Amino acid sequence: MSAPKKRLLTAGRKESLKGYLLIAPAILLLSVFTIYPIFYLLHSSLHDGSLLSKKRNFVGLDNFATLFGSVDFHTTLRNTIIYSVGLVAVLMVLATLFAVWVNGEAQKRLNSVTLAAVFTPHIISLVSVSTVFLWIMDPQIGAINFLLRAVGLSPFPFLASSRTALASLVGMMVWKSLGYYSLLILAALQGVPKDIYEAASIDDTPRVKVFFQITLPMISPTLFFTTIVATISSFQVFETVNLMTQGGPVNSTNTLVYQIYSDAFKYLKLGIASAEGVVLLAFVGILTILYFAFLGKKVHYQ
Amino acid sequence: MESRLNHPGRLAAAVISALCKVLVICIIAYPFIWMVFTSFKPYAETTVYPPTLLPRQWTTEGYAKALEMVDVWGFLKNSLVVSLSVLALQYLIIIPAAYAFARCKFRGKGFFFGIVLMGFMIPQQVTFVPVYLMFSKAGILQSFWPQILPFIANAFGIFLLRQYFMQIPEEIIEAARLDDASEPMIILKIMIPMARTAIFTIGLLSFISSWNSYFWPLIMTTKDTFRTLPIGVAMLNSQEGGRLWHVLMAGNMFLVVPILAVYLIANKQIRKAFAYSGIK
Amino acid sequence: MSSITLRGIRKVYGKDVIIPDLNLVIEDGSFTVLVGPSGCGKSTTLRMIAGLEKPTAGEILIDDENVVDTDPGKRGIAMVFQNYALYPTMTVRDNIEFGLKNKRVPKAERDRLIAEVCEIVGLTPYLSRKPSALSGGQRQRVALARAMVKNPKVFLMDEPLSNLDAKLRAQMRVELIELHKRLGTTFIYVTHDQVEAMSMGDNIVLMDKGVIMQRSSPKEMYHDPQNAYTAQFIGTPPMNILTQMVPGAWVGFRPEKVTLAPAEDAALTIPGRVITREQLGAEYQYSVDTAYGKLMVKTEEEAQERCLLRVRRRHLYVFDTDGSRAPLTPELLDRLAALPREEVQP
Repeated sequence: MSAPKKRLLTAGRKESLKGYLLIAPAILLLSVFTIYPIFYLLHSSLHDGSLLSKKRNFVGLDNFATLFGSVDFHTTLRNTIIYSVGLVAVLMVLATLFAVWVNGEAQKRLNSVTLAAVFTPHIISLVSVSTVFLWIMDPQIGAINFLLRAVGLSPFPFLASSRTALASLVGMMVWKSLGYYSLLILAALQGVPKDIYEAASIDDTPRVKVFFQITLPMISPTLFFTTIVATISSFQVFETVNLMTQGGPVNSTNTLVYQIYSDAFKYLKLGIASAEGVVLLAFVGILTILYFAFLGKKVHYQ
Repeated sequence: MESRLNHPGRLAAAVISALCKVLVICIIAYPFIWMVFTSFKPYAETTVYPPTLLPRQWTTEGYAKALEMVDVWGFLKNSLVVSLSVLALQYLIIIPAAYAFARCKFRGKGFFFGIVLMGFMIPQQVTFVPVYLMFSKAGILQSFWPQILPFIANAFGIFLLRQYFMQIPEEIIEAARLDDASEPMIILKIMIPMARTAIFTIGLLSFISSWNSYFWPLIMTTKDTFRTLPIGVAMLNSQEGGRLWHVLMAGNMFLVVPILAVYLIANKQIRKAFAYSGIK
Repeated sequence: MSSITLRGIRKVYGKDVIIPDLNLVIEDGSFTVLVGPSGCGKSTTLRMIAGLEKPTAGEILIDDENVVDTDPGKRGIAMVFQNYALYPTMTVRDNIEFGLKNKRVPKAERDRLIAEVCEIVGLTPYLSRKPSALSGGQRQRVALARAMVKNPKVFLMDEPLSNLDAKLRAQMRVELIELHKRLGTTFIYVTHDQVEAMSMGDNIVLMDKGVIMQRSSPKEMYHDPQNAYTAQFIGTPPMNILTQMVPGAWVGFRPEKVTLAPAEDAALTIPGRVITREQLGAEYQYSVDTAYGKLMVKTEEEAQERCLLRVRRRHLYVFDTDGSRAPLTPELLDRLAALPREEVQP
């Protein structure tokens, strides 16, 4: 090897070059499908124009002004937040209780079967879940109203009423996701050192007190992270809305992603849809920053 | 344990707890059971009140109708093409990247890993409009690529695999270097086998996710030639005039049964895989 | 079989100079032990010979050929790691075979070599097992077999016995000595344990802070330390060195060379008070408080609480105040003889 060439390819440079080559395909694809679209989204949110036309004029923050001035968008945001907060709150409480319930040494086999069963809906396509629940929640022939009538209660309107449609979607997603979040919380529960519980049982601490003063604080980091992940994912609700309600009745289940989809692909309003996309991005961004801020703190202190 | 159960109050609590668990299992299982039985009912029986659970009359009418209304086999084939392509191609991308992030020294590593984390956190619901326009501009909307390309740089996969690669003791790599193994040889014969749990996990999660995906193919496809099974099954739902429950359930059986079969065989591994996904 | 020469080796990590300037020749066929406290640069030296680290400056010659730019796999060396570093997903056989395959040794030849080596280390019944199904001692043997099968010019061993329990370690020590005799290959062995170093090496290199403190045979290491550091590193408990006894010189003697009974020829007599007594089999180890500090004594004799420590002339070592060895002059002997022999009562 000649001298200058040798200097160009020192061991360090060779190592660097190797690193760049190995990550290049992944970084390229991620840039094209994640980074570039974000800039594109920001750019087109400041322009008008239709999805199909090439002509785009700079309009500043007009799209955002239009959005936040629109009553429909307020409804959409409110729906999304109610859905998200409602779903995450119910999921977290139920999943924690369920995880504690199936975590004992007693009834080990039954616990394992129960957990396996409760997890199953998580891996089932939302298309199938939505279809089956269209029947289960059918006001006339559905299973739930059959049961309600059987015990003498009045039937529930579910998706047919604007007052109950969103809550019905929440209920269905609880059925679908309970197992997944229980699984995550259960993993945290099983990471709590056993001797802490042994110490508590020697002190004859009541079970409720053990739960609130030992278990809950010990799994609180997991609960925090899980809550953020669940919130981010619930913000993206789309499939069930599109398959079951199309945003109705009377906009009562119109959510952010469904609105983006409608504005982009039904009404071809690229600027507005992009501005809505930026709103979603902001939500996700804030939650993500919160997540990593807390993660950094946790790593720091442990 | 024995002595605890001897206490009558405790025994009763244990029995109640066990019964409640059985009840929970029933609540979870009921929609599936109803789906299976309904797919074998004649149309008339699907709308009777009070509803029946077991079909009074068994028939495969629903299946015949579903196959007639949409090209189930074609959609099934497309689903397999997409899911398996993503499954296989992603390894070519994520294994080298994870290896470099775990083991190589280069400038800007933190920055590039930041891009991976972005890919990990930014949902497709944020980026779908621009991505659609890009594919449209590139003129490949009428192909499988829009359903494959965005998923093969699996950011979660890079993340998980990197963790595994970092945990491999340096001495083992050094021993291999002393054994005169080349870099590709080390990756192939040492690192990949040692990270097989992660590789299996990534594959499982990726397959389940692309198999079930509805949002992405809905946006990226307009022709049945490239549409996947969830779209096909959803098309049964949007037929005009009252819902044909037996047909719908028969269609959904094609979507659900393969996943349930895999879950029955490997439910422990699948749950473990999803527990890993919780580190997100 | 090869000699290894390290010439002007310097190793710097960031701002830390690990090894300032190391020169060492390791003779062909020797069993050389690099010993020293952790952080002394012994492992770094070994890893540079292996090619796992690059020296910041200097040359490493194996058989007169500079190998600084040669890949580890092409240096004709084999290494045994502290934690064995076996490939966990491969069977014992695959572990041993991996290096041969990479070197494209034909199948028949590989089979012969593996059979031969496994016979020597007694692994033949375990060939199809995974490392996780083996005991610590068996894993150690796999690591050895993996090194031996390559028929290397040099064996490098980085604390290979420190993960074994005491009994197995003693057994493996003997086996390694036998192995060295049998193969006649150069062994370079790194350890922090001076007992291991003394019992195994025919050539010991004692390092501290990247500098060679002494390099000699085990016997010389013990009987003729070139400096106070070596004198105190070798031997359990370490040599007593009295820095406050006479001005301008340090006086040392080994705990096991102290006589408690009256001895006419004692060159040094120190009054003291026994603080603790440990029973070590046949011997006792006393910690004795004296006017010059706390001293250790190892002897079969029974000691009273108040006692006189006597040391013969041939067991005395003298060091300069910088730690280097100095001669025992008649003048110094006179000064030692003049020291008070009875404890001064307050």
